[in-house]
Amino acid sequence: MLKTNKMMKLIFLPILLFFLFFLIVPLLYMFWQSFKIGHVVTTQNYIEALQSIEIREAFTNSFKVSFVASVITTVLAFLLAYAVHFTTMHRHTKKLVQIGITLPMLLPTITYGFVLIYTFGNQGILTKLVGQPLFTIYGYNGLVIGYVLYTLPVAFILMQNSMQYIDKRFLLVSMLMHDHSMRRFYHTVFRPMLGTVGGAFILTFVLSFTDFGIPASVGGNYRVIATELYQAMLGSIVHFERGAVISVFMLVPAVLGVVILTILERFNFQYKQVGQSELVKHRLRDGLFTIYSILCVTVVGIIFSTMFIVPFTKGYPYDFSFTLEHVQNVLAEKDLTKVYINSLIVAVLTAIFGVGITFMSALLNARTPLKGRKSLDVASMMTNTVPGMVLGLSYLFFFNGSSLKGTFLIIIACNIVHFFTTPYLMAKNSLQKMDPTWEVTAELLKDSWLKTVIRIILPNIRPTIYQMFSYYFLNAMVTVSGVIFLVSTKTMLVSTRIKELQHFAKYTDIFVLSIFILCTNLIVKLGCDYIAAHKEKTEEISK
Amino acid sequence: MLELKNISKSYKNKKVLVDINVTIESGEIISLLGPSGCGKTTLLNIILGLVDPTAGQLVYNGQDISKQSMQERGFNIVFQDFALFPHLNAYDNIVYGLKNRNLQMSKEEIQEYIDFLELAPHLHKKIHELSGGQKQRVSIARTLVMQPKILLLDEPLSALDGVIKESIKERIKSIASEFNLTTIIVTHDPEEALTLSDKVMIINEGTVAQFGTPHEIVTAPKNQFVEDFILRQLQIKRHNIYQLFGETYA
Repeated sequence: MLKTNKMMKLIFLPILLFFLFFLIVPLLYMFWQSFKIGHVVTTQNYIEALQSIEIREAFTNSFKVSFVASVITTVLAFLLAYAVHFTTMHRHTKKLVQIGITLPMLLPTITYGFVLIYTFGNQGILTKLVGQPLFTIYGYNGLVIGYVLYTLPVAFILMQNSMQYIDKRFLLVSMLMHDHSMRRFYHTVFRPMLGTVGGAFILTFVLSFTDFGIPASVGGNYRVIATELYQAMLGSIVHFERGAVISVFMLVPAVLGVVILTILERFNFQYKQVGQSELVKHRLRDGLFTIYSILCVTVVGIIFSTMFIVPFTKGYPYDFSFTLEHVQNVLAEKDLTKVYINSLIVAVLTAIFGVGITFMSALLNARTPLKGRKSLDVASMMTNTVPGMVLGLSYLFFFNGSSLKGTFLIIIACNIVHFFTTPYLMAKNSLQKMDPTWEVTAELLKDSWLKTVIRIILPNIRPTIYQMFSYYFLNAMVTVSGVIFLVSTKTMLVSTRIKELQHFAKYTDIFVLSIFILCTNLIVKLGCDYIAAHKEKTEEISK
Repeated sequence: MLELKNISKSYKNKKVLVDINVTIESGEIISLLGPSGCGKTTLLNIILGLVDPTAGQLVYNGQDISKQSMQERGFNIVFQDFALFPHLNAYDNIVYGLKNRNLQMSKEEIQEYIDFLELAPHLHKKIHELSGGQKQRVSIARTLVMQPKILLLDEPLSALDGVIKESIKERIKSIASEFNLTTIIVTHDPEEALTLSDKVMIINEGTVAQFGTPHEIVTAPKNQFVEDFILRQLQIKRHNIYQLFGETYA
């Protein structure tokens, strides 16, 4: 058995301190603030908030709109994942779905709202085609569509991961047992997916509930909790205590969500082996799912196409002639290019340090006997629970007046904590799959633990490291809600700058910047995917 | 009686099976034996109706069943790792298929199968609480209650521990004789094939290397492959066991 050594403790300590100072203490401090008026400790803030009609309305609105959006998303995503894994649709169509549906993930949610305005609004492309607006996009409708667009990729990825691990041979068993199609569907797909479907629903609900970008752009006068929180903190009249109370309220569904997710876990069962079996062709089914899949991708495509049309036309919607003028203007504006550089710096540093911290945490947790290593799982669960806006706000409270305020460092720390869970679990999964005897073998060959990590663990986990890097980079690039309270004029990022440009109605600039983000993310993502795949391939060949 | 006539299968340009001609009498236990990648699983899938042959015919009791779907053929299979529904208990797995067809099977008849496979004490256990051998028997029971015309077993012994293997072998033999059930087994283990079946079909690179009784194969191997792949292994085993126990125990 591997023994704990000094090196492990030496790495563990700074990680613990990091979570203490950038997660636990700020949250506790914010919680404490919500009970204070001046120097008096009281529940008055809560009573006032609960009595306030606006907050109550915002809370019910948020609940309603998130609920509707997540029901729609869950159904759409399930059908899409089903089309990919349980039909014999053409493989190009399957690929198209996998790419087309997840592409919007590379954009900040705030862009989604503006894209919707340009599609469904009074001057929107669809409105022009139909002749009149189909419905008002501001408010409830816009929010539902925006949330669906935002959460569909996440739900889809979740479900298709899960479906991938369903033993397809059960379809065969079911056919041999002469099941009717409904019974077959229940026992071979739906029942095994039940936990994931519930999980996807909860996740999309919490994401919608806590998102700031979409209501900021397309919310109109429809109050939701995220805009209410923004108003309280950065609005014309500032109510710090109220902000603290609202963010505690925002935590409630997130915490409940995690609790429900843990309960849902019981519904999941793992197949020991995943048997692959050829799916039986069924013309009607495959045809319908092909139409459905193409329809979904087309709708997403049309909605986002405005983003590429508007910045390249002279005077949308009156003059459609092609121009590069807007792009050149943005490039000429030092202010905007600086913001872009800022974003790049933050994303790169977040990715580098983020990967370092998550990898080390996962390593200590999964492959050492270190005492207290389970605390990292707790940290991962907490970061999964706390919405970005709440985390950002807690930093605002806690680091207010410290020298960290208004620095890149605080933004990077916020991003690392905010997006910790996914890369941590990625690394942990890979590490757990590796042969548990490596460390002992290497020790017998006279390697120190750190050397083993560098010489054996790292080379074997490389593809996952690239994935983790790309995850951190992409999210740091697009996040709005996490950093909206933390940016200063010096550390302004593209995603938050978009929020400002909205005030001046500079939509073309918004779209140009969005395209920048999209292209950057695309390059990083494809680059990481390519290196990861390429490495694996060369390794296979050398075998 | 099941006849395979000129069965061939190729994927794109790769020939997996070439011109297989075999007749299987009803009630027989047949093993498809060969190294991995020889095409034996493909042949099993063709018989089952999951994979269409590129050429050739399947004739069952004089009737051409090549164009029939898997369900119409009425054959059934027990998978290597049993493929039991993890969310149902043992009993619900056994009676799973009965709910679909109006098979008039009384409680007593089901009980007969359960008793025959000695599953009575385990009926209300969850699948993950069963041992390998118990899962195997549940899976066989689930298939048998559907009264298949032919029973296919995909590597039935490879997921089981050494001791239980012998008892499962006996069980398979008794099933075949009790229900006069044609049984086709896929395996890569010569010992298993030769001690379990009435006839063995040795497949190599998509063709039948030899088809005959275990006795025929041992006494008159048809070609080099059968000698090298099948007999050599058995001889080494025999040699090792003689060394352990001494010749007198032969």
